[in-house]
Amino acid sequence: MNRSLLRRLPSLLWLWLLWILLWSTPSPLVVLGGLLVAVAVLAVSRFPEVSRQITVRPLRLLALCVRMTGNLVVSAAAVGWAALRHGPRVRAAIVELPLDADTDLLVTLATLVTNVSPGSLVLEIDRHRGVLYVHVLLVAASGEPEEARRKLLATERRLVAALGRRPDPSTSPTSRKDDA
Amino acid sequence: MNTALDVASALLLIAGAVFCLLASVGVLRFPDAVGRQHAAAKAQTLGLLLILLGAALQNAPRYAVPLALVALFQLLTIPVTGQIVGRTAYRTSALAEESLTEDALARRLPPEERRPGQDD
Amino acid sequence: MTAVYYVVFILLGLSALLTVVRLVIGPGVLDRIVTLDVLVTLFAAGIAAEAARREDGTGLPVLLAVTLLAFVGSVTAAHLVEEREGMR
Repeated sequence: MNRSLLRRLPSLLWLWLLWILLWSTPSPLVVLGGLLVAVAVLAVSRFPEVSRQITVRPLRLLALCVRMTGNLVVSAAAVGWAALRHGPRVRAAIVELPLDADTDLLVTLATLVTNVSPGSLVLEIDRHRGVLYVHVLLVAASGEPEEARRKLLATERRLVAALGRRPDPSTSPTSRKDDA
Repeated sequence: MNTALDVASALLLIAGAVFCLLASVGVLRFPDAVGRQHAAAKAQTLGLLLILLGAALQNAPRYAVPLALVALFQLLTIPVTGQIVGRTAYRTSALAEESLTEDALARRLPPEERRPGQDD
Repeated sequence: MTAVYYVVFILLGLSALLTVVRLVIGPGVLDRIVTLDVLVTLFAAGIAAEAARREDGTGLPVLLAVTLLAFVGSVTAAHLVEEREGMR
């Protein structure tokens, strides 16, 4: 009981912080009320535990964030260029992207990372087989579906390197299921 | 006001507005809903973020907090909208199929399992 | 600085115009959902730019409500489309 409370601490702190930020004036009433609201929300809803799903490696995470910001600028420019130059005749492809990410949170983050990569948008998530289906604008990406796929896979590997779970000795490495 | 701050904020605001315009051109010209979602998810998001940053520079620091939260929510919600619009578009055959050079999803979700196109 | 704001508002207005054209011609419900989402984001950008022009951020917290409502609205509408088409 106590341990499960401890594991929910990150969610609790985040909700509390969000409440204070929303009010943007940290008066005692807001701070105290925020704590009550955060506890109530956690008690009523069944938030998944976050801390067991990821392991943060700060340096790699920072590098990933910088890279993603750059990616967002590049992909915005690329989509804009595609709109001006090709418009209705733009070519696209749907590619399959097998995921290394195995927890819900990581899959969500992988979707986010994929969405800011140039020319790609996640169409469908196959959670059980661990596959993302990605719609790629070919002019905005790099010409061929295969090349776009390779770049997306490399980005996803960087995400797992930054936040992937530490291998858990109690579970066998072959079991990829983590649906809760 | 500080001139350097004004210049930086002016550049950010104009760049943001330009990206918004590019996004709208994409919304107008791309062949299907998913293409338009591309424009919304990339160019429009970047445009909004730049304008928010430019606005934050012109205002008292305490207003940076709501602006940062708007930016955060925008980044977090765009993939969700994109995925829901994407899967609905695919399953209602609203994708411009002539523009697709490769379709890996067709193997799992063959055309006969999808709904015919909806036009109204 | 005034000229800058003229440029920004003209660009945003032009964007809104293009977006409204797509909103009118559709053709599907999904296209309109995406387009409306873009339009709301343009409004949000406009409010932020106006706050910068007047150097008065009183209206900025409203943006939070606007963007979140837009998100919830789009998701709900997309779900309705899916349901109306009778899919799993």
